[in-house]
Amino acid sequence: MTLRGLLGFVVLTLAFAAATSLGWWAVPATAALWGALLPSVRRPALVAALAAALAWAGWLLVDGISGSGAFGILATRLSILMHLPSVALVVLTLGFAAVLAWSAAVVAGAGGGRLRGN
Amino acid sequence: MVPLPMSHTTFRSRVRIALAAVLLLVVGFVGARPVGGVPALGGFLDPAGGVWALARSARLPERSSARIAGLTGPVEVRTDDRGVPHVFAATEEDAWRAQGYLVARDRLFQLELQRRATTGTLAEVFGERALEADRTARRRALAWMADRNAAKADAGTLIARAARAYADGVNAWIDAMPRSALPLEFRLLGQRPARWEPRHTYYLFAQMALTLAYEDEALSRLGVRALVGRAATDALFPLNSPIQEPIQPNGAGTPRYDFTALPPPGAPDTVAEIAWRERESIDLALGLQPDGPGLGDAIGSNNWVVAPGRTAAGYALLAGDPHLELSLPSIWYEIHLHVDNGPDVAGVTFAGSPGVIIGFNRNVAWSFTNTGADVRDYYAETVDDASRPTRYRVDGDWRPLDRRIEVFRGTGGETLRVDTLYSTHRGPMVREGSRWLSIRWTPFEAGRPGEDFLLLDRAGSVPEWLDGWKEFVAPAQNGVVADRTGRIAIRSTGKYPVRPGGGRGDEVQDGSTAASDWTGFLPLGSYPFAIDPAQGFLASANQQPVDPAVNRNYFGSNWYSPWRAMRINEILRADSRVTPESMRRFQTDPGSARADAFVPALLAAAERMAAAGRADVALRRAAALLAEWDRRYTRDNRRAVLFDRAMVELTRSVWDELIPPAERNTPMARAVAYPEEMVLLELLADSSSAWWDRVGTPEVERRDDIVAAALRTSLASAEKELGPPESDEWLWGRAHHANVFHLLRLPALSALELPVQGGPSTLSPSPGRGTHGASWRMVVELGPEVRAWGIYPGGQSGNPASPFYLDRLPGWLAGTLDPVLFPRSIEELPPARIRSALSLRGGP
Repeated sequence: MTLRGLLGFVVLTLAFAAATSLGWWAVPATAALWGALLPSVRRPALVAALAAALAWAGWLLVDGISGSGAFGILATRLSILMHLPSVALVVLTLGFAAVLAWSAAVVAGAGGGRLRGN
Repeated sequence: MVPLPMSHTTFRSRVRIALAAVLLLVVGFVGARPVGGVPALGGFLDPAGGVWALARSARLPERSSARIAGLTGPVEVRTDDRGVPHVFAATEEDAWRAQGYLVARDRLFQLELQRRATTGTLAEVFGERALEADRTARRRALAWMADRNAAKADAGTLIARAARAYADGVNAWIDAMPRSALPLEFRLLGQRPARWEPRHTYYLFAQMALTLAYEDEALSRLGVRALVGRAATDALFPLNSPIQEPIQPNGAGTPRYDFTALPPPGAPDTVAEIAWRERESIDLALGLQPDGPGLGDAIGSNNWVVAPGRTAAGYALLAGDPHLELSLPSIWYEIHLHVDNGPDVAGVTFAGSPGVIIGFNRNVAWSFTNTGADVRDYYAETVDDASRPTRYRVDGDWRPLDRRIEVFRGTGGETLRVDTLYSTHRGPMVREGSRWLSIRWTPFEAGRPGEDFLLLDRAGSVPEWLDGWKEFVAPAQNGVVADRTGRIAIRSTGKYPVRPGGGRGDEVQDGSTAASDWTGFLPLGSYPFAIDPAQGFLASANQQPVDPAVNRNYFGSNWYSPWRAMRINEILRADSRVTPESMRRFQTDPGSARADAFVPALLAAAERMAAAGRADVALRRAAALLAEWDRRYTRDNRRAVLFDRAMVELTRSVWDELIPPAERNTPMARAVAYPEEMVLLELLADSSSAWWDRVGTPEVERRDDIVAAALRTSLASAEKELGPPESDEWLWGRAHHANVFHLLRLPALSALELPVQGGPSTLSPSPGRGTHGASWRMVVELGPEVRAWGIYPGGQSGNPASPFYLDRLPGWLAGTLDPVLFPRSIEELPPARIRSALSLRGGP
């Protein structure tokens, strides 16, 4: 990946993180924008999926570090509640963001392509 | 024109796009909508505002500010390292506003669930499966009657002002609550909190009255009468406790045993059976037989005060431990409210109730136990139309019925059902078979529920405290109080109905005549009461409040066996230099007056069997093992298990006449009601009573046969289930547990199978299923500076990720108490113990 590509990825990740503060729906919206406006990026949907997952992981990481153990307690209780290992819950969370972002980017990319006459 | 064949790449691309579109739709759908009990995943998993964000909101910010509409001046709140907020306000109303805000912050789902349970709106959250529970709640009409009382009450009353201020605070939190702070339960259920209204505070008190005043001694009596007749019933469920150790000291200095020979089982009483079935049916329809303790279970609260003359430091001491269903979060919320030139009070209160209910201020400390008074009667009404009544007749005149249309809604707001409720001047009226029955019940008549507690918060002395709740209606409570001048007192307070002819109201009354109505209530001067007694201490533990030889007024007859009262009185009589530490120790004392009474009787029976050459190996072993027991329910005790099982066996086999004949040989066989164990002790004095003879056996069994069988059976079952008597499975801490369930009974959020000290009828009973217990333990020393200690199982926060969700549980299990901070000002709070500072200001 080029430096420019890396920078773009970082910016996209931050955009996902910021958009999430508005609500989960902002993830597919951001991904759609990304997919529609930047089709020249190599594998834009995959990049969007990774960036979205990374952005959500960042949120979890910040809570995990700053919460003095609250995150671990919560993860344990949720895992018992939902009959899933804690790790699976985290994977589900990140996977949810990734699938949302990927699918929105692909669909928007295709739509954007049609609009551009590709 | 012939279309060009699609290239492989284009085809793959279209498939990819189609797949992505489907995925987007599916993931978007499950993100936005709950599916099959799974919450909408988008809002749930969203790390910024979803369930994970609870970890962020689990810790209170070191410093924050907020606005509450109506606040008349600044309020400062400091939350200490036990999660207890100390509220410093200029007026009481501002303190209650802050209290509402803080309780909403820490217990929002509890507020919501309690309100919905009382108003019968659970189906709006849980769907149709909660419809019947809702119908039952609305038939019970607690909310309706509370609304009716509130409508009559002056808006300027203390409780009306407090409820409005409290609602301001709750709603300020709800309105400004960050997304991240929405409690987990709302997320799981896909709900949002409703706004809090002042009347919801009244509902809370109505619900509490239900919890503490639902017991239907009359139902037990009727059921037993149907099987064994009136004379036997009167003996098995006596008006007066056969062991007299009353709350109001009778001067005896020791328990008095008023034992007599029980009359034999009589003939079935078919009239009583009809009345019993009817009453049972009404109680069920009204949900007035909650899933309470079963056989072997026993719950009970304690409180006691010791005068300065019997304490080491020369200051009055008070202890209180109300026993209720244990829950996470706790039923109690601990708070300190400091009002400039006003109340400065700390202790515990219910989520939804302004002020402090059990606690202390700068001069006085107090606590309550339940009295268990007889305060509910049924009346058969004559109505104009059996299917759609509009009027009912009293003394020949038709009176209009109050009606209320109840609409039950589901999760989507759809109408699930519409019911019509009726009410007479006595209370709500329900249909039972072909009859319409109205209910008179003192909780319906609490015009200003909760106001009494606010007055107690202001009391400056024992007399002021007693005066503060002289109008208290329900549920009748045994309130103990001590003040800094060294005065102590106790009074069983609540409205005790006076019935025509002094009757008990077991049977359904004739509603067509006003002559059936209560003629009034007992005057305050006749309540069980004692102040500064010569013995230097006062105690209550749900026993009969007053010796009938001293006061013959009828208060009820649902008195628990006085084992706990006997034990605490024994301890207090023996200790003339009581300290706060010993008060703490007494609260979890493992000794048992019940065991002291029964073990010698059981062993004596075994010895007689041996002397008569009728003791087999199993009986000898059981007796030997029981004799090893020190009669203490410590966690490491290996013999309490045997006694506990023997008592259950004995109870089952002795009272087999009280099992309906059709059920006697079924696995679910269960007596319609079990007499209190003090009656069983009374029976043990009579070796040849007809009650010892088992139903359906050709032999005539006598006392020692039944006791021996109970010992043998209990040993056999214990060995079968727990292994040999030396095994660790026999440890009391393994055999019996406390179970503190989450409000939704979600195991992941509960604390289950907790080993505890204490057994049935010890001062800290942890019997049966272990779902009930000491919901709050408190000790207060009323010296020059009031010092207090307290604990409850759980923690201040309802957020399972919070350090204050379960932090008190280890201490509660160990029987320790936390020192309670009670600063006069913010500056008096040790900075190292402050976890959070909150500034509240008035706002739009």
